[in-house]
Amino acid sequence: MKRALIIMLVALVATTTVFAQGLEETSASFPDPERTITIIVPQGAGGGTDTFARTLAAKMTEISGQNFIVENITGNSTGTGTNEVIKSEPDGYKMLMYGTYTIVGTSVGATDGASGLDFISGLTLEPFVIGVKADSQWTTLQELIDYAKANPGQVTIGNAGATGTTAVVACGLNVACGNCFNVIPANGGAELQAWVMGGHCQVGIFSQTEIVSGIKPLAFLGETRSLNENLGDVPTIVEAGYGDLTIPYGCFRGLAVPKGTPDEAKNWLADTVKKAFYSDEFQSFMAKKGYLQTFSTLADTDAYNAQLMADLQPALKAAGLVKK
Amino acid sequence: MGDFAQGFQMVANISTLLWCAFGTVLGIILGALPGLTATMGIALVIPISYSISNTATGIGLLISVYCGAVCGASIPAILLGIPGNPNAIATVTDGQLMTKKGLAGQALGGAVIASMIGGLGSEILLVFFSPLIAKATLAFGPAEKTTLALVGLVIIASVSGKDILKGLLMGALGFVFAFLGTDPISGACRMPFANALKKTVLAGGFDMTSTLIGLYGVSQVFAELANLSKPQNTDVATNIGKVFPPFKKVLSMWQIILASLGIGTIIGAIPGTGASIAVFMAHDSASKICDASNGKLDKPGTGCLEGVFAPEVANNAVTGGALIPALSLGIPGDSATAVLIGALMINGVTPGFQLFSTNMPLVYSIFITLFIANVFMGVFQLAGIRLYPKVLLISQRILMPIVLILSFIGSYALAGASIPKGVFNVGTALFMGLVGYSMKKNGYPLAPVVLGFILGGMFEENFRKAVKLGAGTMERFVTSPICWVFTLLAVVIVVSSVLKNRKEAKANNA
Repeated sequence: MKRALIIMLVALVATTTVFAQGLEETSASFPDPERTITIIVPQGAGGGTDTFARTLAAKMTEISGQNFIVENITGNSTGTGTNEVIKSEPDGYKMLMYGTYTIVGTSVGATDGASGLDFISGLTLEPFVIGVKADSQWTTLQELIDYAKANPGQVTIGNAGATGTTAVVACGLNVACGNCFNVIPANGGAELQAWVMGGHCQVGIFSQTEIVSGIKPLAFLGETRSLNENLGDVPTIVEAGYGDLTIPYGCFRGLAVPKGTPDEAKNWLADTVKKAFYSDEFQSFMAKKGYLQTFSTLADTDAYNAQLMADLQPALKAAGLVKK
Repeated sequence: MGDFAQGFQMVANISTLLWCAFGTVLGIILGALPGLTATMGIALVIPISYSISNTATGIGLLISVYCGAVCGASIPAILLGIPGNPNAIATVTDGQLMTKKGLAGQALGGAVIASMIGGLGSEILLVFFSPLIAKATLAFGPAEKTTLALVGLVIIASVSGKDILKGLLMGALGFVFAFLGTDPISGACRMPFANALKKTVLAGGFDMTSTLIGLYGVSQVFAELANLSKPQNTDVATNIGKVFPPFKKVLSMWQIILASLGIGTIIGAIPGTGASIAVFMAHDSASKICDASNGKLDKPGTGCLEGVFAPEVANNAVTGGALIPALSLGIPGDSATAVLIGALMINGVTPGFQLFSTNMPLVYSIFITLFIANVFMGVFQLAGIRLYPKVLLISQRILMPIVLILSFIGSYALAGASIPKGVFNVGTALFMGLVGYSMKKNGYPLAPVVLGFILGGMFEENFRKAVKLGAGTMERFVTSPICWVFTLLAVVIVVSSVLKNRKEAKANNA
């Protein structure tokens, strides 16, 4: 009896060890510690999306021990970088820093966008700010819109690029006000800053970090005040009395992989992103920049993105960015 | 002064000096290899600079690579007639002619000294007049930039050589190359077979740097290949002459130096312009100054120090100029400073006017690293100066394939991780190389294509935006004094070249 018990115990230990080893083997198959995981940023080095991706990649490397790097592939309304990921091997080693810009790129026909991708996670929403020159005659959003409505076509409103997220916001605002603005795309946020500070263009749609001392923020395009300490006293669009305007508030960002990537890789990535996202350092980075958290993973992100795409349609149409 | 002392403390350590030295040497090497560019060098060291805990040191590394690459580009431009990167495209003509005259040493030395003057001179402007220049550049809106592009375009007349018609044709060809790609206002895909091509890499249009690498580098390789059967001339290489240009000669060029310094700094400070425009403008203004000097100065374009000094002062002045709006307004002046601003932000520093009131020590530390970078650049490049001409001893049969490979690697690497885009860039370089070669072969000048290509896009984009900002009118062109000045300047340049050509024709007939 005693003997049988011992044999059984030994057998049990043996099987559990074997089983545990087996488990370890399957979980070790992704990622291969020798391989680097690349996050493709379809926008230029040094910009907001790039800084966000680099900070996140550094944290993911630190947490997982796996090497994450960021590569910038720019061009063709972010289509070049997006197509690069869509066409790559669906093995989880290449990810895309997906964003509202991808939806615009898809709409203009530069890429297949979300239909060629599987989501790993949704990350942030970066609300934009409506800004004017520091010594401008307008001190509130209401004054600006009233003036524009009284003088249709006289007020110029700029965005950072014809097929960027700010273009959709500017055009959405224009439609909501009965086409009272003259909308013009600049060549990047930097040029838009120079235009508004130099008085060439009266109003601009800016990201929060682009509000420098020569630019006066009129309204923050979020439902609650900005977390960015420099913009804490800027009224939200709701406070400014325009909560009913149906315009996109900012740039959504998330991570995606090519369609057909195995679930095992996607789960591992989603888990790692989650840990990095909720680390103290990354949380304080986002708070400092004033990014809102919209964390979700996998299927939830799919649903979030589908809703976002539907919501953007009127503004995209208004911006002339829907190509058949 | 407490701020300065603090700023000095931030960079007064061995690691800053070592990183700056590493950055400058890397920059010079990348700059000197045809096809590899300054932006690429900066992209290479971004991860390193982000990981350096001391913000000032990280920025010093970026600045060093930038300065080194701009200066290093002159070496192959002078020795081989192939610019290391687009910063040296206007140095080619005079540099190459000086080498053929046996003055390679002086051209190389002169380029380094000019680069240091440009770099340090623009730093002085940056330190003392930054807020003033930054405010002035804000006056440059789309209308003003349109007229600035116009001034650049009329330079086509003076870089066309004897046949103005050929020059204009080539300028128009440059426009055609520039117009392919994404429409700047609507984002539409602008090319033949747009529906089939809009999801491919071609939709982005020709990459500017790959185009320049092709037109200057690859075409030169083809031209040299055609010469392979002729006997090789090696005696120039063994005798490079004096390295330092005579001090008196440099002094006599003070007008050219000041003009080029001003052009480089201002053009560098205007976002959306760049060194490629500044160097041609500097070279052209040097010709004008020389015309007015009653023969005291040698005419750029004939293989003289003046023609090397002007663009080399200007391209390094761009480095300081581009930092002016970056630091005082928070607006990058070019792609290199855009990366720099990103590096500052990742360290929690927001550039702009408030930087000067809240974080003066950091501003001082950036000024100091810029100074260190410029000095190191000069010292390291001069240190190797007797070595570089040895490259001419290498048989063309070995050298030219290497240059060709580097040109392709450079265009490929510009695309970053994207293989299709890299392949497209290599194709662009090869295609432009063939275009450039057939132009050279048939006596068509290269510079007008380049000016048309760079300025065509700038002219079109800004003109359309200016009209749209004016609600469909051209009002801004009439009300802006800057537009008046540039338009008049363009007229003066055209009229003076026409008059000069007539005078020369008369003299030839007589």
